[in-house]
Amino acid sequence: MTTITKNTEEGQEFSGSLKTVTEERVYAFSGGVPQDPGFPKKNVHTDLAFAISCGLPTRAASGAMFEGYLGELMIDLFGEEWLSSGEMSVTFIAIVDVGDALIPKAIVQSKQVEESGLKFIMQVWCENQRGEKVVVGTAKGSLKK
Amino acid sequence: MTEKKRSDQLEVGEGFEPYEFLVTPAFNKQYLEAEEDYHPIYLQDTDLGSPIVHPSLLINHSNFTRSPSFYLPPGMAAVHAKDEVEFLSPGRVGKTFRVTWKVIEVYERRGRQYQVSEILISDEDGIEIMRRRLNATYISGGE
Repeated sequence: MTTITKNTEEGQEFSGSLKTVTEERVYAFSGGVPQDPGFPKKNVHTDLAFAISCGLPTRAASGAMFEGYLGELMIDLFGEEWLSSGEMSVTFIAIVDVGDALIPKAIVQSKQVEESGLKFIMQVWCENQRGEKVVVGTAKGSLKK
Repeated sequence: MTEKKRSDQLEVGEGFEPYEFLVTPAFNKQYLEAEEDYHPIYLQDTDLGSPIVHPSLLINHSNFTRSPSFYLPPGMAAVHAKDEVEFLSPGRVGKTFRVTWKVIEVYERRGRQYQVSEILISDEDGIEIMRRRLNATYISGGE
């Protein structure tokens, strides 16, 4: 993957890895401890009947899963330093269910020179296999001098 | 026995009871598999310490549904609308983390009530790992 450098221009787009939301992965993320009796725990992420009883049309994979996908992209771009200084602000706009496949994406919105280095403001989102955005927002990351 | 207060009825200034959890290598690996993310920083020791905890684990385990005091009646669920996350320091595998929550805003929009919580995750050494501002609403099957 192309990484970010001080020469990266505003408007440049980056894509992360394709993520397939399988039942096993949703259970691992939201079902509790695999060795516990009753795994996976029933909740709106793991169980269709539970989700419908709460008024949802279907199961909804946890938004924290997609925040993780976006975090992975930011760490690919800015390095693990992003976990000490990065920021992310996202809005969840669509349900993701088992069988969906998401790609995290980012585009450079602006660059700011700061004392410690160069700060990038990124528009970020994840889109599904139909090209629909499911989470949108911004992220900030820096390249040190 | 005192009844738990419904979480959707918490008001500004109230909080959820803190929650503590230990991240073992197996627990971290469970999230790496869920996320399909096997970056070496999550698997290998470095000069700075043990492997890093995947951020999605920390985000997921700092949702207020993890609090011992979180309570909703059957047929209700919390739905996240927006999340602002500030990453302060990487969490390390083998550490115990503590999460605290405080409701800082309650508002209504298009007939739906929203609750904004400020969340802080620290490790057992008092290092601040992550700060969040989570905007959530509540749904029920009766709607």
